[in-house]
Amino acid sequence: MTSTNDNLNKEKIVDIKKSQQNLDAVSHDTEKPSFDRRDFLAKTVVASASALAGTTLLSSAAQADDPAIVEPTEWGTKWGDPVTKNLYGMPSKYEHNVTRRYTKLLASGNFRASIAVTPIQESMGIITPNGLFFSRCHGGVAHIDPNEHRLMITGLVEKPLVLTMKELKRYPSVTRTHFIECPANGGQEWRGPQYNSLQFAKGFMSCAEWTGVYIKDILKDLGIKPEARWMLAEGGDSSKMGRTIPMEKVLDDAMIVWGQNGEALRPEQGYPIRLLVPGWEGNLCVKWLRRLDFASEPWYCKEETSKYTVLKPNGKAIQHFYANEVNSTVTSPSPEIDWSDLKDGDTVEIEGLAWSGMGTITGVDISFDGGKTYKQAELKGLVLPKCWTRWSYVHTYKKGEELLLTSRAMDDAGYIQPTIDQEVLKVGVEAVYHRNAVETWKVEKDGKVTHVEIRSQYDRKPNGELVIEGKA
Amino acid sequence: MMKLDKKLLISLCAATLLSFGVSGCMDGASPAGSAAKTPSIDGGVMYPVQNGMTGPYHVNEKAHSGAIKFGRTPTEEEYEEWNSDVMPDGTGLPEGQGTAEEGEEVYESKCVMCHGDFGSGGGGYPALAKGNAYELQKTLTNQRLKPDTDGPVRVFGTYWPQASTLWWYIKDAMPHPMTDSLSDDEVYALVAYILNVNEMEIDGVEVDEEYVLDREKFLKIKMPNRDGFEPKIDGPNGPENVRKYFSNPDNFGAQKVKPSERCMTNCQEPTAKVVYIQNGGISDFHPPLSAERSLPKEDNSAASSFDVKQAYADNCAMCHDTGAAPAPGDKAAWKPLIAQGMDTLYKNGIEGTDLGMPPMGGASMTKKQFKSVVDYIVSTVK
Repeated sequence: MTSTNDNLNKEKIVDIKKSQQNLDAVSHDTEKPSFDRRDFLAKTVVASASALAGTTLLSSAAQADDPAIVEPTEWGTKWGDPVTKNLYGMPSKYEHNVTRRYTKLLASGNFRASIAVTPIQESMGIITPNGLFFSRCHGGVAHIDPNEHRLMITGLVEKPLVLTMKELKRYPSVTRTHFIECPANGGQEWRGPQYNSLQFAKGFMSCAEWTGVYIKDILKDLGIKPEARWMLAEGGDSSKMGRTIPMEKVLDDAMIVWGQNGEALRPEQGYPIRLLVPGWEGNLCVKWLRRLDFASEPWYCKEETSKYTVLKPNGKAIQHFYANEVNSTVTSPSPEIDWSDLKDGDTVEIEGLAWSGMGTITGVDISFDGGKTYKQAELKGLVLPKCWTRWSYVHTYKKGEELLLTSRAMDDAGYIQPTIDQEVLKVGVEAVYHRNAVETWKVEKDGKVTHVEIRSQYDRKPNGELVIEGKA
Repeated sequence: MMKLDKKLLISLCAATLLSFGVSGCMDGASPAGSAAKTPSIDGGVMYPVQNGMTGPYHVNEKAHSGAIKFGRTPTEEEYEEWNSDVMPDGTGLPEGQGTAEEGEEVYESKCVMCHGDFGSGGGGYPALAKGNAYELQKTLTNQRLKPDTDGPVRVFGTYWPQASTLWWYIKDAMPHPMTDSLSDDEVYALVAYILNVNEMEIDGVEVDEEYVLDREKFLKIKMPNRDGFEPKIDGPNGPENVRKYFSNPDNFGAQKVKPSERCMTNCQEPTAKVVYIQNGGISDFHPPLSAERSLPKEDNSAASSFDVKQAYADNCAMCHDTGAAPAPGDKAAWKPLIAQGMDTLYKNGIEGTDLGMPPMGGASMTKKQFKSVVDYIVSTVK
């Protein structure tokens, strides 16, 4: 059922529910607290009755009053800023630690061929604010004058075309919410964990609501020639980043976008226009886009052979590895925002993200023992194709417990996240890109969270095949 | 069955569209006939428009009928100006020529500061050669399973499947701070030099220092790792090869399972252990990690707190400390430059020079800050 082309939302919801029922039966989950309405009303009644009886629920313990409550505040007693200030609004200055971050180990070209990653430990919902959207460039962030920018469409079309930005925006607009993920997300950790940080372990991605035009809508008038099999997308920045994209994707959901979360793209995201290839490698979403060219043969661009290829143990490399596969992570707790402040018996929500470039998330499981046993978590909020999906699980924390929190997602194309052992045995440890094995956070006795991996040692047979050490 | 048919229709539609032009093919498909499922090219799911919906999104199908169209036809000159791509069969490759010796000269003045001596790389910049490409291509089966084992060598000579990629990339995107500034002959010369340091041959002839590389010879280059990539994307069957490849999860390390049959207990290898971050891992994060809600400290970008030595280390040292450009303290090298006057020194630094100095060293700083870095260097040779 899940591997078929299921596009009717209602049907899908029914499907998901059905499979969840099955899974409930499998997981024998009896620990989940239930918060039903009757329960809530009953508790409310008790509280109201106490109030009526003149008793008090207020603390009588000998504790100091909180100055945040009992002392007057400056902001509570004085005028704030006039509305004329900050006509383009900025975050509170107290939020300054919520920011993109970089490491010099992933920088070359004086940070002109480099990446700054998203603080997903602080992300809320499924939208990344534009100022926090991860930023990768190959020749620096170009600042393009939209009046001086053109999009040219050439090659195997009956009618080549050049568009101003104003003309482009007159095409029928489409708004879609999709993540963009660098396929090197987690790419430093094929041999073991490296980053004690959610931001760096998984933050080479972000998710936004994009507005633009389907390329197929522009092509309708141009007459694609039958021998056209590939499209080149090329940027107008100094790096002239280019990638080859097959016609099937061009005619499915590939877009040229100018809008991001309700405003123009930021320069870091390719202002005035970028390509959006939903679900596929972020590198294909060429920024500062200026040219689309159609041909019968692929181009062999620099970034699709020298990089963005997955070298396997047999010495062959996978090229044109398009989709970011099904993936997930626990976002709360994280190494950055851990559980060291929790008390014994606190009930807490474990939260996370799941995503798949191959379709729609259908379910997420969570393990407390590093992936030996799983329980079904709940999806929450909107569940959209090729989009971040939130999931949740309610846990009662025992002070001093050690946990290995591992999440595992599934999508409607039928894929499930592999263990790192399963993935390494197929593609080795030199792949760099497309690592989507399950990820584990260890909750230490003091509530601190560290990044670990649950994995075996590997060996090679004389024929080169990878095997798990100690096994035949 | 209905769902299977939709998938088939999409691929048929794509084929129809290619053959007969666009006629609203992608918009809505009704069930017809029955046939085996055709997987998508990436192994994933597609959501074609049906009954005014694609997945969860509403669509105004009238808006997507092709009636909305704008723009104009580009002129021949406009087309040629941007048509700079070079394809493996030589499409787009201009005439020209150069020797490895000439290439070395260009390399020494414009490339060595980043790519290192003989293309050895360094400072985060890619290496272009590590020795004999034919021998080192064999390292591609290496796996660094243990810290002390050798990994695969992935440089131009050992890894790249097509030489056209190199010509095109150098012409369009190098030198990094000043792209599109090399002549076609200079690009041929640089390619010859890079072939030379990779100890490569063309048609059985070693590309030595005197070897004259031109278009005809260039098209005879066969890269050692030409057949090292899968799936095969060339020719009329290219896209179908890709589709077939990604329809098998084993090919790319993926797992498929029916949700009801997925593993819920005993899902780990018994040999799997908890592996911790070794030697502190990577923790060079900027700014340092913090989840505090607090007032920011003083603005570090203010000129008063600008750290000249740090700015030098971050932006200048990779050339000025590696011999590619005069080092601080090298009185003999700086004396003639300072003799031109400080205004000229500042101007050349800010605007860049033909000798390889990128404008302001490619750094993100104000002119005032840049001048303070120049002052710092000058102070070391006084």
